[in-house]
Amino acid sequence: MNGESAKALLLGTLGVVAAMSLAMLASHVSPILGFNAFFYGAFGGKQQIAETLASTTALLFPALGIAIAFRAGLFNIGAEGQLLIGGLFAGWLGTRIHVPPAFAIAAIFLAGAIGGGLWGAIAGWLKAARDANEVISTLMLNFIAASLALYLVTGPLRAPDAAGPELSLLPHAYWLPTLLPQTRATIALPIALIAASALRFVLDNTWFGYRLRAAGEAPEAARRAGISLSRVALWAMAWSGALAGMGGAALVAGELHRFNTQLSPGYGFIAIAVALVGGLEPLAICVAALAFGALESGGLALQAVAGVPKDAIHVIEGLLVFALAARRYLGARGATAR
Amino acid sequence: MTLSLVFSLLALALVRGTPILLASLGGVLSERAGIVNIALEGEMTAGAFAAALLSYFTRDPWLGAIGGVAVGASVGFALGFAATRWRVDQIVAGMGINLICTGGAAFGLIFVFNQAGVTPQVPAINQALWPMVFLGILLAAALQWTLARTPIGLRLRACGENPHAARAAGIDPLAVRLYASAIAGGLAGLGGVFLALGELNLYSDGMIAGRGFIALAAVIFGRWTPLGAAGVALIFGLLEALQFALQGTIAWLPSDFLQALPYIAALLALLGASGRYRPPAAEGKPYP
Repeated sequence: MNGESAKALLLGTLGVVAAMSLAMLASHVSPILGFNAFFYGAFGGKQQIAETLASTTALLFPALGIAIAFRAGLFNIGAEGQLLIGGLFAGWLGTRIHVPPAFAIAAIFLAGAIGGGLWGAIAGWLKAARDANEVISTLMLNFIAASLALYLVTGPLRAPDAAGPELSLLPHAYWLPTLLPQTRATIALPIALIAASALRFVLDNTWFGYRLRAAGEAPEAARRAGISLSRVALWAMAWSGALAGMGGAALVAGELHRFNTQLSPGYGFIAIAVALVGGLEPLAICVAALAFGALESGGLALQAVAGVPKDAIHVIEGLLVFALAARRYLGARGATAR
Repeated sequence: MTLSLVFSLLALALVRGTPILLASLGGVLSERAGIVNIALEGEMTAGAFAAALLSYFTRDPWLGAIGGVAVGASVGFALGFAATRWRVDQIVAGMGINLICTGGAAFGLIFVFNQAGVTPQVPAINQALWPMVFLGILLAAALQWTLARTPIGLRLRACGENPHAARAAGIDPLAVRLYASAIAGGLAGLGGVFLALGELNLYSDGMIAGRGFIALAAVIFGRWTPLGAAGVALIFGLLEALQFALQGTIAWLPSDFLQALPYIAALLALLGASGRYRPPAAEGKPYP
């Protein structure tokens, strides 16, 4: 870590603390009591740490996916829809196969990656073949994914035993093993960390990663060097969606144990902030995801114990993103995002 | 289908399309000046929430409407300021603003009214619904004329196409972009006011429901012209109105498909429209 990013980290932390104190004071809560509740909610015990880790995992997969697209110069805002379709594929496959649990879990993650990857590839193909603006297409695909999932779970795929719009429960053997017994923290977290390391390797050390970064950083030069920008767009979006889809699979197999349309309370959008705060670097994104995971679970405790609305956390996340956007050009040394 | 049914469908289309239209005019204005406006959604949210809040406390819906526009404009000013003075990445900053506005409104609801999700009913200006619809269409025509035919319009477009040339011609691109972004925020805020106080008489979380993003699509499909964007916005309104009209009439057509209709239409339009859309040349690029 160089001086530049250390300074940014310090300023960011101070800003978050100041903004949270303001939110607490505005809600007539003493900041001491408020931060106490916040830290207890985020790290106070086994259950709290597990909640933080669960939120971390849920944000980490889509954030890694978003980083792939952003590094290729593509503003993929569609992680939410990709995550949902990935979860749908995973939840469907999980109720259909009968194999040993280890294979089943691998297959469930693969199904999530394929579902999310295909959904991302639609936007990638539109970009590659028709030069369609990916901001618009991924946004539209979010809405379409929500409608499609709702249609499938209320209609053709509706579980006979389901109370609401959801698929059947996965067999108990296919539920992800927990890291801490009787909590929501599962082995999805180490899987996400492995994915992050793999992504770092791919981006930094492979021909695919090189082409992807070249297309993002200097598209004209990349094109002149013989790199097919449309092929990069297609594959970057597919891989981006695949990681978000694995996040959906992790939520299905690790937390809900079935697919339903309420799978994600906006993880795909908050993950954009996570990816940006992590400077689009996979390993830094892991740290950012932990910070945001703590914000999420600590924010819930803040609401439950001190009565400070949880939405204050989203304002703070927005402020962080906004400040970060400014830093990118103020610094201009590329300490974080390109 | 009887004639009266057609008329009621078109009327509904105009009402559903107007908030999108107003925000898309803002989008055209800021993007022609060179600022990408992802923040339309947040500006609409801020406008709708502020309008409902002010109308509740002053019991004067007109004051609420003015406040909604002013707050939308302030958010637009913030984006413009960050984009011109701090040279931010405008898409990233816009996404930050969206988070701040939707989170802020949800926070404000609990903070002010001590209840989640929705404000109490507030005094509204439902009688001004149709005047606002026509105001929107008039604004589109006026903006079209201003952009295409007046010196102000030429200056604004110059800042979006080539700010260096504009600078050489004695225009201050930073100021033009800043004000364009503020006015754009005001227009999006007016779209929010239309929803909160024109159609309804309250603010509820998620009431904007992606209309700011649809407006962004309207800007692109309308080829960055006010009348084009307005036309596309009204087509989106028509698709929304069709949802209500077709609900339950065609047995084999799932209602979820009808709900996705505007978005599917937008996707198909993207598919059919390759390369025909050229954004302003300097859009999204910080100056100098």
